Amino acid sequence: MHRARWLGLLAWLPLLLVLTAALVSPRPSHSQAVDVFLNVMTGGAKKLNIAVPEFTLLPATDARELPKKLAEVVGADLKFSALFSVVAGTAPLPANDPEGLKKAWGEFAAAGAHAGLHGLLAVRGDRAEAEMRLYDLTSSEFRLIVAKQFVLPTAEARRLAHKIADEVVYQFTGELGIADTKIAAVGSASGSKELYVMDSDAVGATRLTSTESINLFPVWSPDARSLAFTSYMRGYPYLFRLFVFERRPIQLLAGFLGINSSPAWSPDGKFVAMTLTKDGTPDIYVMNLATGALRRLTNHWGIDTEPSWSPTGREIAFVSERAGSAHLFIMDAEGTNVRRLTPSGGFNTQPRWSPKGDVIVYTSRHGGLDLWAINVDGSNPRRLTNGPGSNESASWAPNGRHLVFQSNRLGSWQLFTMLADGSEQQPLTRGPGEFTSPSWSSRLP
Amino acid sequence: MVQRRAIVLVFPVLMLTLFLVGCPKRPATTTAAAPAPSAPAPAVSTAPAPTPGMGTMPGAAGATRPVTPGAPGAVTTPGAPGAPARPLAPREFVASADLKDIHFDFDKYDIRPGDAKMLDENAQWMKANPRYLILIEGHCDERGTNEYNLALGERRAKATVNYLVSQGVAANRMTLISYGEERQLCMEKTEECWAKNRRAHFLVKSQ
Repeated sequence: MHRARWLGLLAWLPLLLVLTAALVSPRPSHSQAVDVFLNVMTGGAKKLNIAVPEFTLLPATDARELPKKLAEVVGADLKFSALFSVVAGTAPLPANDPEGLKKAWGEFAAAGAHAGLHGLLAVRGDRAEAEMRLYDLTSSEFRLIVAKQFVLPTAEARRLAHKIADEVVYQFTGELGIADTKIAAVGSASGSKELYVMDSDAVGATRLTSTESINLFPVWSPDARSLAFTSYMRGYPYLFRLFVFERRPIQLLAGFLGINSSPAWSPDGKFVAMTLTKDGTPDIYVMNLATGALRRLTNHWGIDTEPSWSPTGREIAFVSERAGSAHLFIMDAEGTNVRRLTPSGGFNTQPRWSPKGDVIVYTSRHGGLDLWAINVDGSNPRRLTNGPGSNESASWAPNGRHLVFQSNRLGSWQLFTMLADGSEQQPLTRGPGEFTSPSWSSRLP
Repeated sequence: MVQRRAIVLVFPVLMLTLFLVGCPKRPATTTAAAPAPSAPAPAVSTAPAPTPGMGTMPGAAGATRPVTPGAPGAVTTPGAPGAPARPLAPREFVASADLKDIHFDFDKYDIRPGDAKMLDENAQWMKANPRYLILIEGHCDERGTNEYNLALGERRAKATVNYLVSQGVAANRMTLISYGEERQLCMEKTEECWAKNRRAHFLVKSQ
């Protein structure tokens, strides 16, 4: 109500600001639309209408399917961001024909488009080059907001679309989108629980391990290059590290007596917090990756597990039974200053600290298992999912707006996504096999 | 721009973090001998290979296609000179018709009276057959999260071992492992199936 009114007002601002900018800098240039912001915090906010025609294929290019495919991928990424209403994949625009371009944009503008994205694609052997030109269709001259080029090996051409979509989101919100990211998960299609990696839109799911064993809890390193995970490949549950994009052998991180589980990377990538039972009961330790040195953070007779770092690396949220049943607590990264987060009752586990730092998503049992969110000061615990089935194991996208999680609401365990307020819940994977325990990477380098 | 500003702010905070966390004191507690499992500690990688520079080189954008690493055997264990021997691998143990599973209440790991009687019989067999080593597995039903169930499964295995020790079985004959909810005997979402999965299971190996 209060927010909707503010949104109504905000909708007029872009129009005004854009008109002003057009007067000041009439020539198309690499100007930035930093003045045009959308309220990204609310699901159901007013969306920007954007047109993404099929990419223009430049001469001396061989890749018939790509122009339409890339436009569709850009469109899908923008739709997923929940910021845009998209029309994608219509006939390509002329390449070097300003009058023709203006006419085409005029038609889109007349149909209600606020923005238009012109993609130009050149594929030369093993290199794919895409240029994006983003136009403001609410300005009378269809002002060019930004032009940017991306180059990738042809085998990764699809990433061009993701990078372009992320740039479009950046131009309108001040923060890059999350399309050029990867999701790791545990998949059962091969008959055993192995690690998989896939694009943020679930395309290209690739199996990373062939251990014919049990592999659990994959977690991306902050640089999006490796995964820490628990595996029974050596018989007992040990913690390992796998380099996803490099030919390097799997590294043993922790092979202590008992359980080695729940890895969590510090935001600077130098430490991994973990749960070890080597000293009797499950407690939280932090390992220095460069030296292997281990520091014990909790020393309590009950279960202490599932560490999750704050984005500053100064604090760690975790699960503890010290107050009776499983509850969330927060401590300093040195293990001091422990304070309770979740209110009384229940079974509260799997804390996931938002990259924005203000909210922790967790899994709580109220009948079945569901995802909840709570502010880091302990206020406003609120439900995000409400069955059916169980919803667990959330992971934040780097924008702090989207979440991926596992749900068995459709029968088998699959990955789903949603926004941080619980809206826009939709399936991400559809097999083969089951997918669980997802981890969303940071934006790819 | 927003991002550049954010980086400038975060950097001093990271430096502070490194200063505070980067030089950990020696942990107050040394590795205490766990009460029941007496297998020697497994080899520990105490000095993993340092990660090559965190930044990526320009043009490394192409390096985002996943690579399947070598066979499971190709696991490096850098550092750890003179590491102690590992405990016996679970696959060296076999099923035993003589040792019965025991079961647990939901979210609990205490030994119930009926199961205690079963353990008494198991203990008799173990004491009568001293040349066998025993592996005790702890399991959970599929409710609850996977991480929490790993811990609960271990508690069940430990409670079982402790009871057997109290009945005179030598502690150094027993090893334990938790499988959490990862090895379900049945998949139905019924109380009957869940109860079946909440178990401690026994395997043996002759010396």
